[in-house]
Amino acid sequence: MIYGKTIKEIMILVGVSVALALVVNHLSPRGIALVGQWDTAKGVIRPNAPGEDGYRIAEIDRVSDAAKIFYDDDTLFVDARSTEDYESGHIPGAISLPIGQFDEKIESFINQYPPDQPIVTYCSGRTCEDSHHLARLLSDVGFSEVRIFIDGFPGWEAEGYPIGKF
Amino acid sequence: MENFKLSIINNSWIELAARWILGLTFIYASFHKILSPTDFAKIVYGYALFPHVLINLIAIIIPFLELVAGLALILGFYPRSAAITINILLLAFMAALTINIIRGHEFDCGCFSADQNGNSSSSKMTVLRDIFYFLCGLLIILFEGKRRNGFGRIKHE
Repeated sequence: MIYGKTIKEIMILVGVSVALALVVNHLSPRGIALVGQWDTAKGVIRPNAPGEDGYRIAEIDRVSDAAKIFYDDDTLFVDARSTEDYESGHIPGAISLPIGQFDEKIESFINQYPPDQPIVTYCSGRTCEDSHHLARLLSDVGFSEVRIFIDGFPGWEAEGYPIGKF
Repeated sequence: MENFKLSIINNSWIELAARWILGLTFIYASFHKILSPTDFAKIVYGYALFPHVLINLIAIIIPFLELVAGLALILGFYPRSAAITINILLLAFMAALTINIIRGHEFDCGCFSADQNGNSSSSKMTVLRDIFYFLCGLLIILFEGKRRNGFGRIKHE
């Protein structure tokens, strides 16, 4: 009898929590989709905004494609990771633009490169979204040729391509 | 001696203190997770324990379970059931932490803040802390006397 009462009360508490959670998540601008993208084989992991099935910015999802761009084009690689990570190893010739220092550094970046400069952003691979944020910020300030190398530095390193160090 | 133990376990002020400690802790813990579900979802993913379809739902619902149970404890609304809910959550947290400690999986527990500072130095301390909270919960569950409301008044039922 007492167990029945307790179970009923717990179900009420859980029911209220679930209802509140779903309503707040639905109404909040920070809410997330009910099912996210957590499969690294399919791309970068992220919880997704409701109704969002991806970013509009082009992704490079093979290391060999990134390498081709690296060797063939005048594309600028931009490293979204922290300065420390950048200094301990990065794609040769890449510029460091940590996502946290974007506001401080973007002005000199804009002065240095034309808006049609081809850019590839990267960070720490498929469990990291910073390269996507950086790509978005760069296209917001006017860069039109931005792509994202989603395997990032770990993918580059794992396939044995050259590494730049400071 | 037995009476003395009982008088501690059944002291309504100690029971109230345990409810406030546990309640405030859980409300505080829910705060960052509710404010940034994206970060918390990534932390849930980082535990590498859950099917991918459930990660977002876990990240959406757990913080509100913490908030609602915490509030219920403090307000004295279904206090025993709220404490049981919290202890079930604590058991789940401890199981998740322990599994990852044993298999040497590095991760951020995300217990209080969801800002992925990678502060995973003390998963073991976290388990010890959870044991303390679990004991607080047990004290509330086993309490047999008249409970006080959140502000210390004995309830007349």
